[in-house]
Amino acid sequence: MTNLRTRYRRSALSAAAVGALTLLAGCAKDAPQDTFQPAGENAREINNLQRPPFMIAGVVLVIVIGVVFLCVIKFRDRGQVIPKQTHGKPALEIALTIIPALILIGIGIPTVKTLFDLAKTSDTQCVVNVTGQQWWWEYDYPVQPGCLPGGITQPIVTANQMVIPAGQHVLLRITSRDVIHSFWIPKLNGKRDAVPGRVHTLRMQADQPGMYLGQCTEFCGLSHAYMRMEAVALDAPGFSAWVTNQLAAYTPPPAGTPAADGEAVFLANCSRCHQVNGIAGSDGKPVIARPDLWVYSGATPNLTNLMTRTTFAGASFDLLTPDCRAKLVDAKSADFTALYLKGVEANCLDAVQLREWLRNPPGKKPMYTDATKLGPTNGKTRGMPNLGLSENQIDQIIAYLAERK
Amino acid sequence: MAIVERPVTPALARGGPSTPALVTPSSALGVFRRPVSSTGWRSWVFTVDHKKIGIMYGVVAFSFFIVGGVEALMIRLQLAMPNGKILSANAYNQMFTMHATTMIFLFVMPTAAAFSNYLVPLQIGARDVAFPRLNAFGFWCFLFGGVFLNTAWFLGGASDTGWFAYAPNTSVAFSPSHGVDFWALGLLITGIASLSGAINLIVTVLNMRAPGMSLMKMPIFTWMVLVVQFLLLFAIPVITVALFLLIFQRDFGAAFFSVDKGADPLLWQHLFWIFGHPEVYILVLPSFGIVSEVLPVFSRKPLFGYKFVVFAGAAIGFLGWGVWAHHMFASGLGPVSVAVFSVATMAIALPTGVKIVNWTMTLWGGKLRFTTAMMFAIGLILEFTIGGLSGVLHSVSPSDTQQTDTYFVVAHLHYVLFGGAVFGLFAGFYYWWPKVFGKMLSERLGKWNFWLMVLGMNMTFGPMHILGLQGQPRRMQIWTNARAGDGFFNGAFWNLVATIGSFILALGIFMFILNVFRTTRKGAAAPGDPWDARSLEWMTTSPPQEHNFDTIPHVHALDDFFHRKYEEDEETGEITQVSNYEEIMHELHDKADKQFHMPSPSYWPVVLALGLPIIAYGVIFNRLLAVFGAAIVMFAIFGWSLEPSVADESDYEPPSDDESTKELATIG
Repeated sequence: MTNLRTRYRRSALSAAAVGALTLLAGCAKDAPQDTFQPAGENAREINNLQRPPFMIAGVVLVIVIGVVFLCVIKFRDRGQVIPKQTHGKPALEIALTIIPALILIGIGIPTVKTLFDLAKTSDTQCVVNVTGQQWWWEYDYPVQPGCLPGGITQPIVTANQMVIPAGQHVLLRITSRDVIHSFWIPKLNGKRDAVPGRVHTLRMQADQPGMYLGQCTEFCGLSHAYMRMEAVALDAPGFSAWVTNQLAAYTPPPAGTPAADGEAVFLANCSRCHQVNGIAGSDGKPVIARPDLWVYSGATPNLTNLMTRTTFAGASFDLLTPDCRAKLVDAKSADFTALYLKGVEANCLDAVQLREWLRNPPGKKPMYTDATKLGPTNGKTRGMPNLGLSENQIDQIIAYLAERK
Repeated sequence: MAIVERPVTPALARGGPSTPALVTPSSALGVFRRPVSSTGWRSWVFTVDHKKIGIMYGVVAFSFFIVGGVEALMIRLQLAMPNGKILSANAYNQMFTMHATTMIFLFVMPTAAAFSNYLVPLQIGARDVAFPRLNAFGFWCFLFGGVFLNTAWFLGGASDTGWFAYAPNTSVAFSPSHGVDFWALGLLITGIASLSGAINLIVTVLNMRAPGMSLMKMPIFTWMVLVVQFLLLFAIPVITVALFLLIFQRDFGAAFFSVDKGADPLLWQHLFWIFGHPEVYILVLPSFGIVSEVLPVFSRKPLFGYKFVVFAGAAIGFLGWGVWAHHMFASGLGPVSVAVFSVATMAIALPTGVKIVNWTMTLWGGKLRFTTAMMFAIGLILEFTIGGLSGVLHSVSPSDTQQTDTYFVVAHLHYVLFGGAVFGLFAGFYYWWPKVFGKMLSERLGKWNFWLMVLGMNMTFGPMHILGLQGQPRRMQIWTNARAGDGFFNGAFWNLVATIGSFILALGIFMFILNVFRTTRKGAAAPGDPWDARSLEWMTTSPPQEHNFDTIPHVHALDDFFHRKYEEDEETGEITQVSNYEEIMHELHDKADKQFHMPSPSYWPVVLALGLPIIAYGVIFNRLLAVFGAAIVMFAIFGWSLEPSVADESDYEPPSDDESTKELATIG
């Protein structure tokens, strides 16, 4: 009897410990990719589904540990006689098979239900095409009636930061231009692989405006660790403003400024790969980038409105200084949209990161750019090569890019 | 003049013809004399004795364990701090690829092969395996394949695509070094080892059991090995096909995985995981077999629910084929496939759970002796339970889309493969060491070994649960403070703990190596039956003679050795000792067979295996070299085919007529 009671007390204690740990998990602060802190309905559905099995697993573990320790203490060799050679008790075996089977059925039914719920696409309000490549993400917004009142009337192409309207059911259509990547914003939904030649869908919905971080989770070669993503949810008017700004006409820098010199340097060095919508050459004709001639995956980030996003190079580095970045990430959801729409302001621009990048990109982020080793890719690089820019040129390019918003 | 144990043919046993003055081994293919030595290096290189082959498997596999362990420590050093600087991205990617490849293919699988080779014939009362030369060939394929794989480090870099090698990241454009070629060709060669071993052991178990040993009286380790061999028999061909496709893709311009030519890269994932999931059971079932031997011996009780454990093992063997796509829940298979594989994955938890219940119930009511082997076995129950439970969590597929490819999976798989497979192997090392080497490993060092490994493994892999749930993806060369979070679950803290843990784990394994060295140099001689064991392998000398048993025992019960030593009162269940090891051995010795039919050593297995890496180097560097390698292979196949399985009588001096040396012969 006492034995039973101690056993009961012990398992109760352990269950309490498991509960406390789970509670602690719930309180963890500022873990941007915590899988137990959903911020949208899909992730919440997953979270509701996964919590009970985690608890059950904890309890089962405690029971197994308890019973094994009990055996170890109780049945230690103290010189007792050799025990009866019992070969098993089929009734007990069957019971101990049926109980876990019932638990698994209890877990299995909601699993299958949630699975089909999460695969629904019928309630889509907004579509974003997501394309992975070594080692960054491109987001393009096709012309569509959804996303905002009046719809999106011109396609938008952007990179590294995916801007979505908060509250809406966004459907991502995910693919890849080279190897397999995986798109993952833990607070908004689970992962979905980006497979070349296939388009996979993934639902996204964010309850509140804010920034939700993620990371490529399918190993995709050399710079896999530097392939990150940031999902930015804006309130409805904010999203409309963002779309309007993305579609605004090109504003060339005023002549005679460093930015104007920067435009020339950009045209000479960058625009063969990087598109800036509306930029024109000295002959007045629009300049169209041809990244497919230089880069194996065939695309490079569109830089039209670089300073409306706060990160670059696969979201590996910030355009914002750490202070400004912290202010934005920690902003209350009510203030977030306005703050984000300001873009990277002059006093917030972290030119050091950008300068280091322009000086030697493969030195800052591992990439395949060594000209002697590009045989298998027909001389095309995977990533951005060192362009050998002078410090002066770098300053001018930064002056030019700082106005792109 | 050496004394050797040797095949005695009927003619020789009768006294034979007059003694030839000089021994002249018969020739093979008219060129080489057949090897006959049973001492010196030749006795190892040309051996076909399953015990010597088992020991060689063990030694080589453990060496690879050290290599894989150093790779693991490098990985943990790199990840100890944010923005690690120890390894470049390129080196890091090679390191984790080779860590997994080495541990799986070159450590756990061949160590399991070491135990199976050594113990299965002994456990079933046989004198060798069914195809002794094939057995030797398997070992040499493993050794040469493993060495070939690792030479990639010095020839332009090892594979950098992960052990799962997802297409199209493995094509030349994305992995331009020869690493993937080395990886694929090396695994093809070691695959031959697994496949030939599987056929060999299946035939051995099904045909060569001692009289009276029905399948349901077979020791549980042999049962689990049998299940594993069937898994290998069907899984290895799948990965072989996949690797062939990959090699043709890379080296001969094929387009099996080229999206731009209309291929679907998911083909590779299906092929890989149809092999890869049964592979998990291939890795862990031998250890389940080991602890199912160790727990009863040190609990002084039979395995609880032997039949249930056997059927659970077989059930895992079947269900293991229906769960591969749970590695692909994020791959975009669509909800119907995912639902099917989710449910199948939940189902496979049941037979696995049955084993845990049966092991625990074996302890219950026992008379437990906490030897190091027993501690590792109990450790396995607990550590594997953690890995098993996190596995069930993965079967909840929507939840898995959050956890897959994070450190949570790394934690899970290491609790299964380290807490499960490796703990079982260590239990086996301590339990069977006296059998194999005739010396007792130090229990004191053993306890250090065990506790440091338990502490180290939980410190290393335990925090990875936290890191994964906090969103740290795996296979990343660096992690940053920006995404590490704060408070109790701060990633920086737990990454550091994991790194410290990995060094404690390494120290634990060092204790084992130390133990082996000290035991070899001055260990106490082991008594014949040090653990009061239950199964046939203990019913012979330690280490066993080449022919294993003086006379093949007749088996009457499961745990036959135990039942020869003890009698159970039918009514009270009281156990009384009626005999002991010495008496039983005397009895067996008195009935010793007059002649043993034993296979003779051979050159051909090692020569044939040597041709394979030469072909592989040829595929990578120069096709002419491949032709040369192929010529060696053809030559060896002919030599092998024409060689009789037993050497000519004239290769040996006949034994004297003196009864005492009836199984001995001398050669000059």
